[in-house]
Amino acid sequence: MNFLAASIESLGAKVTGWFTVGYGIFAFLAKAVLLLLLDRTIWNRATFDVVIKQVYFTSVQILHVFLGYALVISWLIITIILSTARDFGLTEFASEMTIRVLVLELLPFLTALFIALRSGSAINTEIALMQVNNELDALAHCKVPPMQFEFLPRLIGGVISVITLAGLAGLLALLLAYLSIYGLSMAGFEPFTQTFAKIFNLQIMAGLIAKCALFGLAVTLIPITAGLETPKKLFMVPVSVLRGMMRVFFAIVAIEVVSLALKYI
Amino acid sequence: MNTLHFKVGLFAAASLLLAGVFLVYLLHARGFFEDTVHLQLAAASADGVAPGVPVVFSGIEIGRVTTLGLNDNGGIIIHTEFLARNAKWLKENSSFTLDKPIVGGAKIRVDSPDLNAPALPDNATMLLTTSDVSKEIPVLVERVKAILANVEHLTRKDGEINATLANVKTVTGRMTGEYGVLESVLGSPEKARAVTDSLDKTRALITKLDGMALKMDGMATKADRWLFASGGIADQASGSMAQVRLMLTDAQASLKKADALMANAVAISADVKEGTQDIAKLRAEIDDAVRKANALVNEINKMWPFARDPEVNLP
Repeated sequence: MNFLAASIESLGAKVTGWFTVGYGIFAFLAKAVLLLLLDRTIWNRATFDVVIKQVYFTSVQILHVFLGYALVISWLIITIILSTARDFGLTEFASEMTIRVLVLELLPFLTALFIALRSGSAINTEIALMQVNNELDALAHCKVPPMQFEFLPRLIGGVISVITLAGLAGLLALLLAYLSIYGLSMAGFEPFTQTFAKIFNLQIMAGLIAKCALFGLAVTLIPITAGLETPKKLFMVPVSVLRGMMRVFFAIVAIEVVSLALKYI
Repeated sequence: MNTLHFKVGLFAAASLLLAGVFLVYLLHARGFFEDTVHLQLAAASADGVAPGVPVVFSGIEIGRVTTLGLNDNGGIIIHTEFLARNAKWLKENSSFTLDKPIVGGAKIRVDSPDLNAPALPDNATMLLTTSDVSKEIPVLVERVKAILANVEHLTRKDGEINATLANVKTVTGRMTGEYGVLESVLGSPEKARAVTDSLDKTRALITKLDGMALKMDGMATKADRWLFASGGIADQASGSMAQVRLMLTDAQASLKKADALMANAVAISADVKEGTQDIAKLRAEIDDAVRKANALVNEINKMWPFARDPEVNLP
């Protein structure tokens, strides 16, 4: 009886914990969005500079590595799809399949994972250390609100980075798909354009951009909130990063699953 | 100059430029800068047609179905849309076929046999025919089933083909026997032997008749000489000679019977070529024999003038 009560209690504690974390994340997001929309004073040069720095560290710095990685993975997937389609005599569907698999699903997902691994973990550690060392309180004390100069620029930078990098990788994959299917000639331009036009309607484009924006938010917002809830003990920093990264991973998978469900179900 | 800002600026500019190019390409692909041409297709059934079904020309998609609905007479009207650059493939003599392959979605196929024909005007109405492979399959299967049942019926254990083959085997087996084709036609070696025996006997009879005719010749000459040497004996002899003639007529009748028998044998074996040739040869021999006998009788008649005409002048 005691055991049953104990397990129910631990389950309740876990659920409460999840709700607290979810509430913390959404409350933080609401605060950031409200600040962004309502407070005109934050639109100044200083904030803009921080945003530019964040974009630089999150996307420009890794651009060549990321594009090389996207090139290799796109080339592999395109080759696999084309050879399978040829084997089954379904070549006419190969270009559509390539675009749908790579540009719409795989590349945005991989971009989000890439940025989460590189920038998300860094943001989480940085915020957790600042929290442990009381730097955030010090900043607030010096009339440098951390929301405006630390958190909001990271959120904006994350969203911009994921959208841009996923878009660039998608364009690269489109080019690669065209070259793999039709080679270096303009002969396939018309049919390729037809397929392209068939896939990219307004809903798909809006869905793709929204998905990338959500990915961008997830890989920055969740590490920030995870860092902020770190207890003020140095040994809790790795635990905070671990928890934050797990949440980021679940959030990315959840966004992908929901977007697929909305598109195909 | 701030390197960091320059790099971010370059990145932003390149990304924006690519996004702009992408947007323009997307709008071009979706026909934003072009007029669209509409076409109505009248069909008996809208089975498998839905908005978005492609219209293909030579395997390349040139347009798609936008909406479909019923008209006042209960017919199906399918509205299709084409970009202006693709509308040149639609001619007044184009045919529109609804293709429903076993694998893949339905599509409307356009065939334009004469590309020099006048182009279809906007909002024209054309007839949509259906070529549904999957609908023909059950019919085909039924027919194949019926054919297979027939073949099975023919080749069953006690079937016609087996019986026929068994008969052919019996006939060819007999053909390899002592009496060959004759045995195969008549059914058993005994019957075939009977026919050959009767033929042998006929031949012997003919030989005897030949001999008798020679003797008759000699006898007639002697009788002539004898008769003409001393008159009056002819009257006595005429009675016995008349008997000889009767006997010869009998012989003729019996030969005619043999002739009829042979005619029957020839008729029986009429469809067996080689057999017919053998029997025809025998028949010819018998004909010959009969003719000889006839000639003999005629000769006797000729040489016995007083029997027919007692007042004939003597040479």
